[in-house]
Amino acid sequence: MDLSYSFKLAARSLWHEKWINLLSILTITAGLLITAVTVLAVYNMDAATRRLPEKFSIMLYLSDNLSHPEVEKIINTAGKENIVEKVKYIPKDEALKDLKATLKDTAYVLDGLGENPLPDAIEVKLKNSAMGPDTVQKLTARLRAISGVAEVEYGEKFLSSIYSLRVGMQGVGIVIVIMLSAGMVFVCYSTVKILFYRKRKEIETYKLLGATRGFIRAPFIIEGAVIGLSGGLLGLIGILSLYYLVILQLRLTFPLFKILIFPVDVSFILPPVGFLLGIIGAVVAIGRIKY
Amino acid sequence: MIYFKDVSKHYDTHTALRKVTFFIEKGEMAFITGPSGSGKSTLLKLIYMAERPDEGNITISDWEVDKIRESHIPALRRTIGVVFQDFMLLNNRNVFENVALALRIRGANEKELKPKVFDALKIVNLRHKADCYPYALSGGEQQRVSIARAIVSEPIIILADEPTGNVDPDTSAGIIRTFKDINARGATILIATHNRELFRNTAKRVLKLDFGNFVGEDIA
Repeated sequence: MDLSYSFKLAARSLWHEKWINLLSILTITAGLLITAVTVLAVYNMDAATRRLPEKFSIMLYLSDNLSHPEVEKIINTAGKENIVEKVKYIPKDEALKDLKATLKDTAYVLDGLGENPLPDAIEVKLKNSAMGPDTVQKLTARLRAISGVAEVEYGEKFLSSIYSLRVGMQGVGIVIVIMLSAGMVFVCYSTVKILFYRKRKEIETYKLLGATRGFIRAPFIIEGAVIGLSGGLLGLIGILSLYYLVILQLRLTFPLFKILIFPVDVSFILPPVGFLLGIIGAVVAIGRIKY
Repeated sequence: MIYFKDVSKHYDTHTALRKVTFFIEKGEMAFITGPSGSGKSTLLKLIYMAERPDEGNITISDWEVDKIRESHIPALRRTIGVVFQDFMLLNNRNVFENVALALRIRGANEKELKPKVFDALKIVNLRHKADCYPYALSGGEQQRVSIARAIVSEPIIILADEPTGNVDPDTSAGIIRTFKDINARGATILIATHNRELFRNTAKRVLKLDFGNFVGEDIA
């Protein structure tokens, strides 16, 4: 089969049906832009929530009057846990000093206390990758079982809220991306189907002259691919414009926008994605038409 | 080459062919005649498989039509050149491209395509109209473009459905001469026509149809 002729037929049809094709291209562009912005938003929110657990720690409050070797043993046992990043011993005197520093002007309320009421403590910091509520819960159970540990405290609600927020955002992001991708495939599908029906007489002639299904289908698949690719290229131009004309300018004016992560290189995936969605739409459309 | 054995074709409202049996030899040129509605076009459609028979067997060259798979129909059609009654030309392509389409479908490359198309157009006296579009041609000219498209790929079988329906007597005679020349080169030709003048004194076999029944044959 001479593919150059299929390309010629596709080019002719793209030009001849330029308005319907342009409409499809713009719809795909809009779809890809919304998808890209959604992915960026989810990515940024995910990165922000990932940074929050840096402040997270588990506090082990120790029993009174532990000897130095006993404290050492607790520190070593906690430090051996795979998911533990750092262990820090906080003597009760230092804890009181920190508390006074935190209370600042109202620290005088502590003056009435004769003896330091705070216990010695160990602060356990976890690796970022181990921040799931289940993992932390299991670890705290193990830490609580260590002899000499009187009490274990951690921001259970804070951690599970952050985790739920992250999982929720990822879920919403995936649903939006899937729905928009399906929408873009449907746009290509409908366009190719309309073009196919508009050329029914022409296709009938091809068939009666002995054209293979490949000969008949190839121009439509090329057309779908070109529509998708064009949508992807326009989407890329849109995303780059958004970055260079809007985000960069906002960063200069408002420092808050500096925390935004914008992986410009990743946006170059839009043209191949559009191309692929175009082909899928065309193949599904041609496959479902009886001829 | 073309063998019909007890072939019948029924439509909802009428029977187009009833138990038709005939044989066309390889390299033969024959006519099918009969009044309008006698089943001539249906008979041709059964050969190029635009229709399937309801009863009977059809053999085209080495193909048994009742056993042929859907995916093989294009291959059968590529061995046949058809002059359609309504021409079936593409109005958005010029004459050259309409004729070239038959070759492109057969996978011909650009290099071999050009001389073959111009040769075919020369045979039907339309070489000078290569750049014209079908809508700018007369009915007779469109019919000749259709003939050029049917013969350009040098198929082993040529079917023509009323190929002179829209042309004057001189052009008709020219078209029949063209078919004779192509037949002389070995192609099997079957022409459906209700115009008796077309086959008068051609010394070719004429098969007669009447209301779907095969009613005999003659030598013109």
